[in-house]
Amino acid sequence: MTACRRLFVLLPALVAALSSAAQAQTPPDPPANAEGSAAAQAAVDDPDRDFNRSQPDFVVVNLPTTLRLPKFKSAFRVTHRFGRPLGQGDFGELAEDLFGLDSGAQIGLEYRFGLMRGLQVGIHRTSDRTIEFFTQYSVWSQPDAPIGLGIIASMDGTDNFTDSYTPAIGAVVSRELGRYGAIYVEPMWVNNSNRLPSELVDDNDTFMVGLGARVRVRPTVYIVGEFIPRTGNTPGVNHGTFGIEKVAGGHTFQLNFSDGFGTTMGQLARGGTGGDDWYLGFNISRKFF
Amino acid sequence: MRFRVLCLVVAAAVFAGTVACDESLSSLTGPTPNLEPTLSSIQKEIFDTTDSSGRLACINCHNGRNPFVPGNLTAGASYATLVGTRSVEKPALVRVAPGDPANSYFIHKLEGGPAIVGERMPRGTGPYLTAGQMLVIRRWIELGAAND
Repeated sequence: MTACRRLFVLLPALVAALSSAAQAQTPPDPPANAEGSAAAQAAVDDPDRDFNRSQPDFVVVNLPTTLRLPKFKSAFRVTHRFGRPLGQGDFGELAEDLFGLDSGAQIGLEYRFGLMRGLQVGIHRTSDRTIEFFTQYSVWSQPDAPIGLGIIASMDGTDNFTDSYTPAIGAVVSRELGRYGAIYVEPMWVNNSNRLPSELVDDNDTFMVGLGARVRVRPTVYIVGEFIPRTGNTPGVNHGTFGIEKVAGGHTFQLNFSDGFGTTMGQLARGGTGGDDWYLGFNISRKFF
Repeated sequence: MRFRVLCLVVAAAVFAGTVACDESLSSLTGPTPNLEPTLSSIQKEIFDTTDSSGRLACINCHNGRNPFVPGNLTAGASYATLVGTRSVEKPALVRVAPGDPANSYFIHKLEGGPAIVGERMPRGTGPYLTAGQMLVIRRWIELGAAND
């Protein structure tokens, strides 16, 4: 773990270095009397601030999209995955439990921040005391390129990031379908996805390919879905989820159905709960721009 | 360009960090931090040694000198005693079935399974092997129960 802790010290330093590099690339400041108006004009012209009908949010359900977060802007997300299997008992019992809303839930809170154009960093904590730090860099985005491409790196740790660290690195490839949604392919390598020492397991890494889609069915209503086939360490079942979402102003409200509770990369690599169990959940996100 | 290079450095740092993020075996095996899934390690840490929790060494009884105690777990004899050898108490099972810990009577005796004959081992009221120690022994069997 010592090397891991060194890495955690190293990463913020590198992020700071990135920030410095970005500032170094910024064109020289205009004369003082033009400074205010130029900055205001740049903010207004920033295309990252425009609403993207094909990619209204930074995630599909759990998988990231290639939506860019404007510089120095942020977004917040709440996730709930209720613990009652929808197939447990008959329909009357399910209705009595309000389709699972009466049961406990795995809750996630997420905040992301645009560190510079195309680069965002964030933190996601789930109520099983897992904390995930992540960063995503947008390499290409549409319409400047035929596809969107982002590089994502994350590290989650259990017990409030003091134990069982699970780093992940991968790519987010998107293709927008006009103004009617987008499809995603996200190859991801997740290390140390098995919480046992490597001496005791056959596989300690998971390679997964996240497949996702978002389709706009009404002006502000979308159908979303994800499926994540895996190889390597593959406990549980491959994660699958689908849902419906409504975009209202800076908010996105999503009702979803999943075969597991995972929302971080490590949790997704460990798969769903198994059997035929599906669970109700929701995401609510808010953009602060 | 400098920015892109630094991005690659960040990605490379995360990648490099992954190598060292595995859980340590010693954190799992409690009173026997040096225990590994090899027969020589199990011999030394489990069969031959009374550990710091007070769990008794197996060879206190299973030493080949007591005619009323089946099985000799002393060094040099333990492999033949365990691997592929039918249990005296439950002849339908072998003590250690290579690759199959679930059907190894040795595991049943150490975990106190419901189908065992006689007492759970080590005999008495414990302490017994910890869950982490059992994972290591199970892993040795899963890997083929080599005489290593």
